[in-house]
Amino acid sequence: MKRILFAIMALTALAPLQAPCAELHLFAGAGLRHPVDRLVEEFQKKAGHKVVSDYDGSGRLLAKISASGSGDLFMPGSLFYIEKLMKEGKIASFKPIVAHTPVIAVNRKKADLIKGFSDLAKPGIRLAFGDPKAMALGKTTVTILDRSSLKEKIMSNAVVYGATVKQLAIYAAQGEADATIIGRADAFQFKDKLIMLPIPKEYFEDETVAVAVLTSTRNPAEAELLQNFLSSPEAIETFKSFGFLPLE
Amino acid sequence: MRRFFYIPLFLMVLFILGVIIALFFRSSPVEILKALSSRETMYALRLSVLTSIAALLVSASVGIPTAYLLARESFPGKAIMELLLEIPLVMTPLIAGLGLLLLFGREWLGDSLERMGITVLFTPLGAVIAQIFIASPILVKSARAAFEAVDSRYEQAAATIGLSPFRTFCLVTVPMAKRGLLSGIIISWARAMGEFGATLMVAGATRFKTATLPISVFLNIGTGELESALACAWVLLLAGFLMLFALRMMGEDRTHDSLAQGVRL
Repeated sequence: MKRILFAIMALTALAPLQAPCAELHLFAGAGLRHPVDRLVEEFQKKAGHKVVSDYDGSGRLLAKISASGSGDLFMPGSLFYIEKLMKEGKIASFKPIVAHTPVIAVNRKKADLIKGFSDLAKPGIRLAFGDPKAMALGKTTVTILDRSSLKEKIMSNAVVYGATVKQLAIYAAQGEADATIIGRADAFQFKDKLIMLPIPKEYFEDETVAVAVLTSTRNPAEAELLQNFLSSPEAIETFKSFGFLPLE
Repeated sequence: MRRFFYIPLFLMVLFILGVIIALFFRSSPVEILKALSSRETMYALRLSVLTSIAALLVSASVGIPTAYLLARESFPGKAIMELLLEIPLVMTPLIAGLGLLLLFGREWLGDSLERMGITVLFTPLGAVIAQIFIASPILVKSARAAFEAVDSRYEQAAATIGLSPFRTFCLVTVPMAKRGLLSGIIISWARAMGEFGATLMVAGATRFKTATLPISVFLNIGTGELESALACAWVLLLAGFLMLFALRMMGEDRTHDSLAQGVRL
């Protein structure tokens, strides 16, 4: 911990001396955009390095990294994607940051109809889910439904599948779907239109948001600085202010 | 000087060839063929063909009269309407999709349509509507240019020999503008086939229901299943190639525009 703080302090002091400054390419999950945007801005001011952030679904980012073999850091919404790249030898190191917890997001107008997980199985409820293969949360949703005893009934209420989590949030917020399963932070962003209901703990494991330095980086020292900054206690506070939960 | 202009020409050709070759050599043909014959790809292909043809039929039956009117008449508010008709051309399809989602959502048109038994959102019909929004302005633009290229004196001549305006349109104007109309139809069809952003929002990405070929590519890139994505990409590329080839063939047909000569007699 002290080392991280020291690193940040040293960095702040040395910033004006570090010339030329490096440009770091950060691949980050689309659902992490708001906190990461703010943190990156802070880092740029403090460290004087430029950070280019590329936000997209974690799976597509993985495909981009695999196909291009370039970039400095990778910050997906689930450790699953880091483990996949690790097998290809593309991860130098990684640090966990916060939990990515799935919740049921219910349109406020349907709040009296859907009060808990089992209400998702009621006939006539319109649900939006993530594609089980293309989206981290789509995969989690399948696990949740598998472990519940209501899989078939709930699945038959699905009216649409989406390719990104924001798409699902928009469907539920607009009322085109009554409810959806998305990340706590995604629901938090639409809190004027959506209410959050918990999913029984035994149905899923939290996903972990982590930041990895890629072996393709040309600026390993600077990439590590950014990695330390993004996983620092103050960064975790920023994530919490956007609805993420700390790791248990 | 012209000799030097071959350099940028070759650069552009190499650039495009490079992309096509990179797509082709990423996976073995066997893997591509296997992915191509998968149930999901076949479904997406069939859906893409059907929705784009439906979108094309609607776009043509609305777009061609519109284009003719714009080419021949002037009326109050025309400039503004022309501008509006071109907005989808410069609009990001995702934003068009968001607009369509709101328009056909429950708070606006969705409820009344549903009472009539029509569901637009999250259905293949939604994909058709998204494609119409994106493709029809392209058709109007090229059809209008085609009509403007037809000298209106031919129409006047047809009127003097007693043809009704409707028959003049069908027997003189449309045949004379045939080549331009067909190229507009092909380009807007290709655009409808490739439409992605608006379809994603309006129809959703439900496999075996609303996942068209471009959406299938998008889903499969997200799962790291590059073979499936590339298989769909190849079908789209081939379709595009065939359409472009058809356009070229029509270009060769120039000398046989017999009707133009026929009317002149």
